[in-house]
Amino acid sequence: MAGLTGSRRRGGGAGWLAAAPLLVVTLIAFGIPTVVLGVGAFSVKGGGFGFDNLSATMQEPYIGALWSSVKLSAVVAILGAVLGAFLAQAVLTSRSGLLREAVLTASGVLANFGGVPLAFIWIATLGNSGVVTAALGLGSGVLYNFWGLALVYLYFSIPLMVLVIAPALDGLKPQWREAALNNGASTWQFWRHVGIPVLGPALLGGGVLLFGGAFAAYATAAAMVGASVPLVTLQIADALTGNVLIGYENIALALSVDMIVIALLVMAVYLPLQKRSSRWLA
Amino acid sequence: MAGVTWRRLTLGVAAVYFLVPLAIAVWFTVYNESLGFSLGAYGRIVSAPGFGESLLKSLLLGAAVIVLVLLLALPALLAVRLGAPGLRPVLETITTLPLIVPPITYVVGIANALRGGTDALAATPFWQTLISIQDEDFPVVLVLAYVMLALPFAYRSLDTGLRAVDVRTLVEAARNLGASWPYVLFRVILPNLRSAVAGASFLSLALVMGEYTIAALMGYRTFPVWIVTVSGSDGQLSVALSVLSLGLIWLLLLTLSGAGRKSK
Amino acid sequence: MTVELRELRRSFGGTVALDGLSLTIEQGELIAFLGPSGCGKTTALRCVAGFERPDTGAVFIDGADVTRVPANRRDAGMVFQSYSLFPNLNVRDNVAFGLRVRRRPTSERHSRAAELLELVGLGGFGERYPHQLSGGQQQRVALARALALQPKVLLLDEPLSALDAKVRVNLREEIRRLQLELGITTIFVTHDQEEALSVADRVAVLKSGRLEQVAPPAEVYDRPATPFVAEFVGTMNHLPGRVSGETVEVFGHFLPLDGAAPGEEVDVLVRPEAVRVSPSEEGRGFILASSFRGSIARLRVQLDSGGEVLADVPGHEAVRLAPGLKVDVTLVERPVLTAPRTAVAAPVEPVA
Ligand SMILES: Nc1ncnc2c1ncn2[C@@H]1O[C@H](COP(=O)(O)OP(=O)(O)O)[C@@H](O)[C@H]1O
Ligand SMILES: [Mg+2]
Repeated sequence: MAGLTGSRRRGGGAGWLAAAPLLVVTLIAFGIPTVVLGVGAFSVKGGGFGFDNLSATMQEPYIGALWSSVKLSAVVAILGAVLGAFLAQAVLTSRSGLLREAVLTASGVLANFGGVPLAFIWIATLGNSGVVTAALGLGSGVLYNFWGLALVYLYFSIPLMVLVIAPALDGLKPQWREAALNNGASTWQFWRHVGIPVLGPALLGGGVLLFGGAFAAYATAAAMVGASVPLVTLQIADALTGNVLIGYENIALALSVDMIVIALLVMAVYLPLQKRSSRWLA
Repeated sequence: MAGVTWRRLTLGVAAVYFLVPLAIAVWFTVYNESLGFSLGAYGRIVSAPGFGESLLKSLLLGAAVIVLVLLLALPALLAVRLGAPGLRPVLETITTLPLIVPPITYVVGIANALRGGTDALAATPFWQTLISIQDEDFPVVLVLAYVMLALPFAYRSLDTGLRAVDVRTLVEAARNLGASWPYVLFRVILPNLRSAVAGASFLSLALVMGEYTIAALMGYRTFPVWIVTVSGSDGQLSVALSVLSLGLIWLLLLTLSGAGRKSK
Repeated sequence: MTVELRELRRSFGGTVALDGLSLTIEQGELIAFLGPSGCGKTTALRCVAGFERPDTGAVFIDGADVTRVPANRRDAGMVFQSYSLFPNLNVRDNVAFGLRVRRRPTSERHSRAAELLELVGLGGFGERYPHQLSGGQQQRVALARALALQPKVLLLDEPLSALDAKVRVNLREEIRRLQLELGITTIFVTHDQEEALSVADRVAVLKSGRLEQVAPPAEVYDRPATPFVAEFVGTMNHLPGRVSGETVEVFGHFLPLDGAAPGEEVDVLVRPEAVRVSPSEEGRGFILASSFRGSIARLRVQLDSGGEVLADVPGHEAVRLAPGLKVDVTLVERPVLTAPRTAVAAPVEPVA
């Protein structure tokens, strides 16, 4: 016993040493830019600090773009989580090993497919001169709006959800369902009282991941909608690349801080929920 | 019976949603009203200026990111299991932070830090360092940025892989038999982690091969940036590039998961 | 509340799990389904619970045909092999799950759960979560949950096979006590013959989806209906014998035959406790090995004529009957079963 605790203590020091490179690199590569970001966002034009930049981002057009980004991300997160979970369940319960393997591999590919190439593929399909648009006579502008963007974002969000939720679905024991039926529950009652609560942490975690992915996405939106759907990432890029008047760099910094705060808020809601719903896990 | 119906419906809708755009994209690149069937668009990719150069640059960046991510994350993860459990919350936090800071805000921070840094350090030897890490051919800043972006995913992949291995017993048994630490790491632990390492490498590489925002805004011509600049107004070429980059991710996944599986 | 299985047939692809199983379980009886793995015990039980539909045949509970009644409307409480407690609910809510589904008021749910937990010896464990309990405790909770809706039938599918030996014995006695106290008709599935023999009123031995024998434990053990039952339940020696009329000759003894013999040259089936061993210089074998088991010792005797015999002797004789000793082997006079001749004499011990 004494030997064990002894080695634990020694291991502790060596452990921090082993983690030191990671901590140092994070501090430099991540810490410096975020600190600079924060300092810049709170810098005032004439020198000194203040909330000028941040309050500027609380006005139009920025506040509208922020709100629209949040709405889009929430829609993608909720739809993606629900549809991804359904798809995963349909695949995992089909008893076809081949289908399972194929869908999981395809999900691995599509979850990592984004950016401009994703936009091009959808433009070819549903853009103003897209194949489906022409075939169904949908007219122009189907894709270049809020819901079009959501449709395209779901193309990588649903596969990501499948990957996140599949292990959790595999962990649902068939005996739980049978035990519930045996106690007189309907299939829906099983899901409500047991299935969904057990999946809770994975569903929530997946939803948060999807929110973050949609919230941060820039290239796809830039290639697709230009300015027709205002998004905070587009605004930051505009401010940064001087598409707007000089002197707006600090607005980019302040918008960045806004984004980080929103992401933090999502985490702040998610972590306690996650903790509560996983209290019964070992 | 109801179970079969909803499953069929779900799979059917999913198949339409995921496969139709892909099929259209492929069709679009090989068929053309005036020319008929032709693989010309793919030929144009290869002959486009900068193709090989940017692809090579991205692959190099990817390799550097993989090596660095593994070198940083593995020792820390092993330490957590071998007697420094206090590290775990620290690591969890560190590897969650990049998820909270979106790439576009991260690049704003990096750009400002570099600008401020070069101004402030103009008269010191550090200036030269700052300039060299922004080298056009092999931008170290980009490697570091991608390491940060890849870390959350790679860390979790490795953590999951380690969960299936009783590291403590493995290490104690190997040390008991007189194995040195490097031997334990490379000959005992890594072989047991092959698929997790392969997974982490895939995620890192896929990220590098697809990341546009940071590279574009910092002005580096990586493969994803090149795709956008070269596609210009040639619709067929741009869709062909999309199909190519999807195929590339798929190839990476197959290669790396194949490499991860071979050990078993 | 009787349960009747009538001509149940069920196959999965090419595998026939149930092949015309018929059986009636009487009111208040505990019947054990015993048989090797894959013989269809679970499938039969799941047909009663409603998780499995027989291809043909019917299940009656209390005289009513329930074959087409869905699982959530059957009056049967089931205990699974393991891991069946809902991990997100504490012990009390697990037990009261059925009442919650039926929208009973909270006070009723709590008092009923407390009552049932008391019954299975877990009073005061209501607030714990399943992962905070040992395997044996989890199965007690599962038992309480199965009883919560006062079902007509209790179904247990190898409820003890994931537990330690000691816990297994305790819990099976507890299940029997409860079953007698509640007088509930019970089917207890197991592949462990000792377990079946020790808890059941009757044991139904299954083989390849068919019923081989159903009888009280002592009868199954002493008068197995078929060679399969004889070998599956308890340990059996196979000794070479020659049939002559109503008797069979083994080791120079003439023993009465139990049932018809399959030929002239046969294997005679003899339990180890029906074999007597005594030291003798002119004996027909010598002791190869001895394993002491407390009240008895099991000897392995090598016969000079080839083959081996197992014999159970009182434990205190183990010292006298040590390995290497030349011994004589005799058999207790009682009717014996016979089976087609196999190559050499060899004892068959159950796998379980
Ligand atoms: N859902 C199923 N799908 C395919 N085969 C099954 C299924 N359930 C049972 N079987 C097969 O039916 C036979 C009987 O199984 P089971 O009733 O579980 O046996 P036991 O409980 O006696 O071990 C076995 O051969 C088993 O492989
Ligand atoms: Mg079974």
